Amino acid sequence: MKKSTLKLLDKMQKVDRRIIYIIVAFSIIIPLLIPFNSKTYVTEPTSNIYQKVDSFAGDDTKAVLMSFTHNASTMPELFPMEVALLRHCFERDIKVLTICWLPAAAPLVDYAINQAKEGYDVQSGVDYCNFGYKPYALRLPIMLGMGDDIAKAVETDSQGRKIENLEIMNNIKNYDDMNIIVDFAGNSSAIQWIMYARAKFGANIAAGITAVMVADNYPYLQTGQLLGMFRGLKGAAEYEKLVDVFAAYESDKFPNGRPFSKEIINDTWVPITRDKVTYEVDGKMIETDADLQYKFKKARIGMNAQSVAHVMIIVFIILGNIGFFLTKKKKKKIV
Amino acid sequence: MKRQIPLMIVVILGSMFVVHTFVPHKISADFFDWFQDWIKAISPFAILLGVISLSMVNGTKIKRKAPNWQYSVVTLIGLAFTAIAGFVWGTQTGTPYMWLFKNVQMPMGATMFSLLAFYIASAAYKAFRARSTEATVLLIAAVIVMLGQVSLGAMISKWIPITSKWILNVPNLAAKRAIMIGVGLGMTATSLKILLGIERTYLGGGK
Repeated sequence: MKKSTLKLLDKMQKVDRRIIYIIVAFSIIIPLLIPFNSKTYVTEPTSNIYQKVDSFAGDDTKAVLMSFTHNASTMPELFPMEVALLRHCFERDIKVLTICWLPAAAPLVDYAINQAKEGYDVQSGVDYCNFGYKPYALRLPIMLGMGDDIAKAVETDSQGRKIENLEIMNNIKNYDDMNIIVDFAGNSSAIQWIMYARAKFGANIAAGITAVMVADNYPYLQTGQLLGMFRGLKGAAEYEKLVDVFAAYESDKFPNGRPFSKEIINDTWVPITRDKVTYEVDGKMIETDADLQYKFKKARIGMNAQSVAHVMIIVFIILGNIGFFLTKKKKKKIV
Repeated sequence: MKRQIPLMIVVILGSMFVVHTFVPHKISADFFDWFQDWIKAISPFAILLGVISLSMVNGTKIKRKAPNWQYSVVTLIGLAFTAIAGFVWGTQTGTPYMWLFKNVQMPMGATMFSLLAFYIASAAYKAFRARSTEATVLLIAAVIVMLGQVSLGAMISKWIPITSKWILNVPNLAAKRAIMIGVGLGMTATSLKILLGIERTYLGGGK
């Protein structure tokens, strides 16, 4: 009896990794296939970016610069943030500029813009401009050059047009005319923007990073050198909710989105299983005419999978520890 | 000469950049503009060098029928096909290049990165055992941060995200800053050694 119990406890500690893999796989796949409603709590690093971007809504003297420093491998986490930020800019009539530093990121920028702009009356060179791929070797001179003159540092956009001739560049000369610069990466590349664009020219910097890199970037967030941070898929989910609740909100009082409010964001939920954007406030459902498109709730669906996967990992950790302690206890008794 | 000329370039240009950073004079600004043009001219050669190197390494593997040479064939076909697709039809939406990106590169890249979740799950199960006080602290911190990262944590208790934030903001930052200060000092010392010509290993060719 004692031996069989010991065997069971031993098994609890030595679960085959293939079993762990299959359980983790199912805990990710099932919530992705069958989405369920879960609450998204918006944190300060994400809402700071939202508020900064939104503060110049409709102002044609300011632009948002999105820097893509990643390739397809980190897309599942970073792409939803990029689409959410672009959607915010298009909803609120904010000029947006994009640049990428890796050859593999160039199609990714096009893909993000094309996904976000569907349904919006926006034009390349007028409402947004993709500067295209610039070699990483030129990152430092371009970063520094943009502090003096963007048109001179970047020269042409992805379609080969002279930047200085584009309508979007009217009133936009250098970092003084930038609302915020957001760097999307699977590493700490935002540090370069802090060192050169912020330290030398005082630009506002934010970072969109994968969850595993969050801890590395925390020192800059705490010092305020990073104005805000999208922390992995969670950050993307939070931004999606912010755009749904404020930027995409339409009513007689606020025909083009409403201003950010902490109270509203804390009390409002947007159920993702519905086809229409629905606001749940104190248990009451307010359904709107706007479609809740899959591409604009991708991060929130992904967060369901992440939640279940985290719980499964914690269950495995607990199981392993129960086995470990009980074995230790039993062995002591036997001795 | 093979070592002296590169060394001189590094010492002179390195020192000029140090001066440029601290002296906001017109000559300094003009020097920077001149440098920008040079960099733009030099950087395409790096791509060319990469393509030549990749072709040579994989070409040799195929020629010698080295183990797993078939993968080299796939690499070279991929390189040639992607480049041709980009050059001939462009890189805009609806082109074969974009098709390759969406249907080959994107899913493959995401697959590679997603493997991390499985390794982390397996490693966490094996490593997080409360064998000692330190291991127990690590285990508890990991569970709190994991729960704090998802909405479930806040649903269980409002203290989970608060504690998770505290772990990231206090103990994590203390360790991170210590490492960063150490790395920063090391980088400064190494840069100075390179500028002064003391550190020459980057030139290659042993001591």
